Amino acid sequence: MSQRRRTPQIRTLRSRLTIALVFGALTVAIAAGALAQSKSTLIGKLEGPEVVTDPAKLPKAFHEAPQLAEQVKAGKLPPVAERIGQDPLVIKPLHEIGKYGGAWRGGFTGPADFWNGYRCCSGPDHLMFWDYTGDKVTPNIAKGLDMQDGGRTWVLHLRRGMKWSDGKPFTADDLVFWFEDIYRNKDLVPTPSAAMAINGKQGVIEKVDTSTVKFKFPEPYFMFPDMLAGSTDVGGQAWRGAVGLGAYAPAHYLKQFHPKYVGQAELDKKVKDAKFDSWVRMFLYKNDWSLNPDLPVLSPWKTVTPANTPTWTLERNPYSVYVDTAGNQLPYIDRVVLTLAENLEVINLRAIAGEYDWQQRHLDLGKLPVFLENQVKGGYKVYLDPGDYGGDMVIKFNLNYDADPEIAKWFNTTDFRRALSLGIDRDQINETFWLGTGTPGSVVPTDSNKYNPGPQYRKLWATLDVKKANEMLDKIGLAKKDAEGFRLRSDGKGRLRIEIMTLGGQFVQFTQISEMIREQWKKIGIDLQVQEVERSLALKRTAANEQQLGAWNNDGSEHLFTFPLHVFPFEVATVASSGPLYAKWFQSAGTQGKEPTGRLKELMDKYRKAFGVPEKERIELGKEVWKIAADEVYIVGVIGMGPASMGVRVVKTNMGNVPSRQYNSPDGKTPTISRPVTFYWKK
Amino acid sequence: MLAYIGRRVVLAVFTVWAISVLSFAIIQLPPGDYVSSYIAQMASMGSVVTDEEAQNLRIQYGLGQPMYVQYLKWMKLIVQGDFGMSMEWKRPNTEVIGARLWMTVLISVAALILTWILALPIGIYSAVRQYSVGDYVATFIGFVGLAVPNFLLALVLLYLGFVLFDAHIGGLFSPELQDADWSAAKVWDLLKHVPIPALILGLAGTAQQIRIMRANLLDELRKPYVVTARSKGLSESKVVLKYPVRVALNPFASTIGYTLPYIVSGSIIVSLVLGLPTVGPLLLKALIAQDMFLAGTIVLLLGVMTVIGTLISDILLVWIDPRIRLEET
Repeated sequence: MSQRRRTPQIRTLRSRLTIALVFGALTVAIAAGALAQSKSTLIGKLEGPEVVTDPAKLPKAFHEAPQLAEQVKAGKLPPVAERIGQDPLVIKPLHEIGKYGGAWRGGFTGPADFWNGYRCCSGPDHLMFWDYTGDKVTPNIAKGLDMQDGGRTWVLHLRRGMKWSDGKPFTADDLVFWFEDIYRNKDLVPTPSAAMAINGKQGVIEKVDTSTVKFKFPEPYFMFPDMLAGSTDVGGQAWRGAVGLGAYAPAHYLKQFHPKYVGQAELDKKVKDAKFDSWVRMFLYKNDWSLNPDLPVLSPWKTVTPANTPTWTLERNPYSVYVDTAGNQLPYIDRVVLTLAENLEVINLRAIAGEYDWQQRHLDLGKLPVFLENQVKGGYKVYLDPGDYGGDMVIKFNLNYDADPEIAKWFNTTDFRRALSLGIDRDQINETFWLGTGTPGSVVPTDSNKYNPGPQYRKLWATLDVKKANEMLDKIGLAKKDAEGFRLRSDGKGRLRIEIMTLGGQFVQFTQISEMIREQWKKIGIDLQVQEVERSLALKRTAANEQQLGAWNNDGSEHLFTFPLHVFPFEVATVASSGPLYAKWFQSAGTQGKEPTGRLKELMDKYRKAFGVPEKERIELGKEVWKIAADEVYIVGVIGMGPASMGVRVVKTNMGNVPSRQYNSPDGKTPTISRPVTFYWKK
Repeated sequence: MLAYIGRRVVLAVFTVWAISVLSFAIIQLPPGDYVSSYIAQMASMGSVVTDEEAQNLRIQYGLGQPMYVQYLKWMKLIVQGDFGMSMEWKRPNTEVIGARLWMTVLISVAALILTWILALPIGIYSAVRQYSVGDYVATFIGFVGLAVPNFLLALVLLYLGFVLFDAHIGGLFSPELQDADWSAAKVWDLLKHVPIPALILGLAGTAQQIRIMRANLLDELRKPYVVTARSKGLSESKVVLKYPVRVALNPFASTIGYTLPYIVSGSIIVSLVLGLPTVGPLLLKALIAQDMFLAGTIVLLLGVMTVIGTLISDILLVWIDPRIRLEET
């Protein structure tokens, strides 16, 4: 701390420079001062509501929103206790019991931004979900999950008397219908999901009784609870229904659109009348939580005007199974109104103007000073939710690059990768682009993460050490330099030039940061070329194995086993690849692509093994995976655990039960991890 | 005359067909398809599309088929009056475009009228009083209007509106009236939001039109028939307005061909900045997402607009300029 105080001039100067860059004359120097003061107060303590499972603490009587009570009085709705059922999903609000009423305003960017609605309003409707730390799996739509048969069978207990939003019962049949008639229908789901399989072998769903089902797998599948909780193919109707996945579906409603239950002629007529080109497209549209207002749902709010109109509106579900500890049916807030903004600047400006009540998606960290400056005028408070993953920005070496054998050779030389990582001045990048809010280091997740291999791995090959980097590069055979001080290729074909491919318009300014790294690498004699490309082109180039270095993030990687995309070559279709052929080999279980060797092979084996072993063993394997990843530097960590990706949050000051910091991740569907059903208006 | 128009109409139909082929081909030119841009878009948002899902989507949208098959499929639909479904919006294209078309026409027509109201008198004035102080002032403001990128102007006005007047940021309606049914209050709300975009859109065009009007009129004013008219004792206003101005109007009429498509799409960047629910941003998004049926429909619409516009200008020219009429018959 004392060391920090000794260098205030440099810090202020740098932040001012940044602001000047980003805002020009519009922003005043006050902002820099405000920022320096509030940096510590902006990042609060991780906190959140809890799911109550202790039967002794369950509420005895239920209460409801006034407008629902009126409808009950008018005979339009059954009484609240009947609507909720015998086994409510009880949530203990973060601070206090709230009050009913009001609307929540936010912004979204069009139908492709459906994540926006899932994140705010889906509840979530996962069968299982995480506690607020994102670490532990807790009951959610399902009341509980028991393991049997050494991890081969998982018994799922549903909530008795629970109902869909149209009042029809939610039962085991809805899971069986999903499995038999949607998931196994080759037209609806042509290729089966990896989430429903262990070691490539598919599982099945069987009904036990009205409120109990069994998921049966041919081999032990200890990761299964995490799969139900995470943003996977079995992650609920809101998130996956539109592609025929999600693990359950409203059978009573969807049967009228399924050829097994209606005649072909009748179905054809329906398809034609609704102007769809096939029954498949119609069926999936009907099961789309964000588009079809008629769809029965389990989420606490349901779509009223769909996401493909200028305003995406959601209203309370009268049959919501969520209640607070005093027995009030949740949510507290009546309506959620997301307005269409044609571009991100408009969303940011509206947030600054205080036109949103809670917005964190699409807010730009670079505008933090302006957000702070307008806090009082806009009636909001700014919070930062840094991620738990190690890389807001990472640089991937394409280990399969083969267009230039010289470059391929160096990419596969461990010390070359390490030296390049040592040549990055992460503090400069952190100050300039993260305004000092990120953490410089390797790719490993935050220290408190259960898979973190130990604090020493944060800095492993991830500090600035120009001298050592130069020594390492000299030693591996790159000692010769040209007149400008750049290293020469070992095959005598001139200067060693490497390219980094970046995408513009992202949450993090990959291109500008890469330009800074280009300057920094001059000191270690490496000539970096920065190429910004359009995203479809990026995908095409990674698929064709034409990318050398790629800049991206590793968000979600703190959930190593549900979100491993940016830990090793895992995904084939990606905008930044660390080895498309290795990824293909991994995905095809060795039938296609190229088999890795050495420590990368070891990493992949450990990763694969972890799904079929109990949690304790899995954690050990996870640590091993991170150790190899950090030590081998297949992917260079630059800045991590910062609020750059959806971590800048603007919330109205009179909203209640707002956490000062939340787990920020796709898997947590943040802010759903903080249970928006418990948010309310204080006045 | 009728034969002339008839020939033009036949040519127009052929042109529209050529446009449909071209637009479809151009939309297919960038690498990848709707699914690959969807994957990239999801990745940008911190989300994942699995290989299985991508495969499923390609099968559903028929993206694996050869390009000409996709084109014929599209054409078959269009001939039946069905413009297909937008992949991104998951609604019929006509619906997606239709909702925005009227807003676009409203704003653009407002901008157009504003342009003409400003440009014609100022243009005439600067020609008649060439090198006067008024001419210099008009020219100066005109060039400034031409030189300032209108999206920048839009940003500055947005910022000033927010800081000084606490105005709502972007859009054509106040948030509380956005979804309300049409009423006097909503129309009034819309009218309050129209002037700024219309002004921004009209400004660059105004400068251009002033210069065109001025240059043309100067040419005409020097011609002998003007001198003759003057020497015969006609009043100055009659001399200028009755003949030279009428001739100088020709370029205005012949640019209508380009004005019509501009009305639909010319305002892409400004609409993006101001958050206007017009067709421009829709086209941009459709192109980025490679939602080819939506983009194709809009491009086709623009093509048809250009063709119709050109037809109208041809007819207008024949009407206002007897010389053309005489040549043709």
